[in-house]
Amino acid sequence: MEYLIHILVISGIYVILTMSLNLIVGYTGLPALGHAAFSCIGAYTSALLTLRLGLSPWIGLIAGIFLAVITGLISSFPALRLKGDYLALATLGFNVIIYGIAKNWVELTRGPMGLPGIPSFSIFGLKLTETWQYLLLVLFFDILSFIFLWRIVDSPFGRLLKGIREDEKAIQMLGVNTVKYKVMVFMVGAGFAGLAGVLYAHYITFIDPSSFTIMESITILLMVIFGGMANLYGSIIGAVSLVVLPELLRFLGLPSSVAAPLKQMIYGLLLVVLMLKRPQGILGEYRFK
Amino acid sequence: MNLLTYSIISAAIYSLIALGFTLIYRTVKFFHLAHGGVYTAGTYAAYTTFMLLQKIGSDSLIFNLIIATLVGMLVAGVLGILIDRIVYYPLRKMFASDLILLLASFGVFVFIQNFIQLIYGAQIFTIRTWPVKEGHHILGAVITDVQIAIIITSFVVMLLLWLFVQNTKFGKAIRAVSDDPVGASVVGINPEKTIIIVFFIGSALAGLAGTLISLETNIEPSMGFNAILKGIIAAIIGGIGSFPGAVLGGFLLGFAENFGVWKIQAGWKDTIAFAILIIFLLFKPEGILGIKIKTEKD
Repeated sequence: MEYLIHILVISGIYVILTMSLNLIVGYTGLPALGHAAFSCIGAYTSALLTLRLGLSPWIGLIAGIFLAVITGLISSFPALRLKGDYLALATLGFNVIIYGIAKNWVELTRGPMGLPGIPSFSIFGLKLTETWQYLLLVLFFDILSFIFLWRIVDSPFGRLLKGIREDEKAIQMLGVNTVKYKVMVFMVGAGFAGLAGVLYAHYITFIDPSSFTIMESITILLMVIFGGMANLYGSIIGAVSLVVLPELLRFLGLPSSVAAPLKQMIYGLLLVVLMLKRPQGILGEYRFK
Repeated sequence: MNLLTYSIISAAIYSLIALGFTLIYRTVKFFHLAHGGVYTAGTYAAYTTFMLLQKIGSDSLIFNLIIATLVGMLVAGVLGILIDRIVYYPLRKMFASDLILLLASFGVFVFIQNFIQLIYGAQIFTIRTWPVKEGHHILGAVITDVQIAIIITSFVVMLLLWLFVQNTKFGKAIRAVSDDPVGASVVGINPEKTIIIVFFIGSALAGLAGTLISLETNIEPSMGFNAILKGIIAAIIGGIGSFPGAVLGGFLLGFAENFGVWKIQAGWKDTIAFAILIIFLLFKPEGILGIKIKTEKD
């Protein structure tokens, strides 16, 4: 039971990552391949503030989101100039750089040794030590994120984003500064990824750079595409099913040296099959142009 | 100054990967990330062959290495063709976008890397079972026989590729299909046949690069990711689609990385490489040689 709740908590964190990435890639059509970089910023910011300065995780949460948003702003500079696969490559490169900093700036991050003992959240003096308590917290943030993102995509702003995705020139003809909107989308997406990173860090209580690799970013993108491009419900389905399904491998009694690569093989294969058969995903309405 | 030796070896390896990547990119016009998987597969094939040869008692080191390298190249080449036929060919027929091809390619890469990890395990292997000899001292740099062999082989292969592409009928067909597939088919060149040849040669180059570097460093299943990214960076900073550009980019990257970490930790190499990439993408996306073969789509 404990294990099941743990899987749900992880799913919940991925739901935030997937929905926010969907805003960038599905709704706005920007191929961002470095979402894990933003959750890395969020996780490390909050972990360092709570560990080194003894601040409350809630302050860490706010600071983590804030720094992730700033990082989103910085990373959106390539988005202003690049298109298509070049943008994909630049965001991927950005992820490698952030990962490199987390790994090599040993004085600050302890590098590959990671940061252990990150304190848990507490609400009104009650420390969240039980997994189910943490599940409630994550669910709360899931709902909050869903409402926030829903308000964005189901608004004139959201329709404008889809317009940029379908025909940027046409939207510019209407006198809209599309660059400004793309930057905003990157910042919002990054902020939510930062939130997910903070939640992850204080739940697992240990982070190291290996949680924020390119593979992680691709996994999140796979969840977006699988569930459906430009569909928030799809993102929930994508995140939960791709967290839960590989866990079934455990029940086959495979050792982790077999189960881990097997899970990645399934992800890789799924990505190929989706591109061949259904590039917009289960509930999606958009495929990469 | 071992830095110089390391720089030249990195440069040679990056150039080889970038050349194979460029050859393929010129014809199919998308980022073939699975090239990194092909590189790893070729290296492991070479490693396995070498170990088998030693086991059955073939004790000529040079002979074993040559056979292992050839097997590595062959396996890589065939794998390249298979990827193209199974994944890229159907996508091309559907007129899938470059991004869809890129993501499919990433999927293939992830699959291959983890397949290798499943078979061989995540631990590192080394092909270097021979006794280490002291290197030669040339101009203050220390260089071993193996390192000289790596450098010479790389440059000979690069030269051969250049002669092949510029002078042979196949080479002309490859250039024709890269520039204008429809036009090429009008004059009787089969584009699909040409693409198969391109995938074979390009992938074999990746297999060679992987095998050569395994003479210097350890091998592990995740080695391909860095390799393909460095290859792409080299190709982009040199000028994507250009063969001289790929070599130039390989050299710039190899030297920048190795001299860049002269005073700081070696772990920063990748960060330096990607910082260079992003600077180029922002300010000079057409690269140094600036041959723009990819047209703006909208």
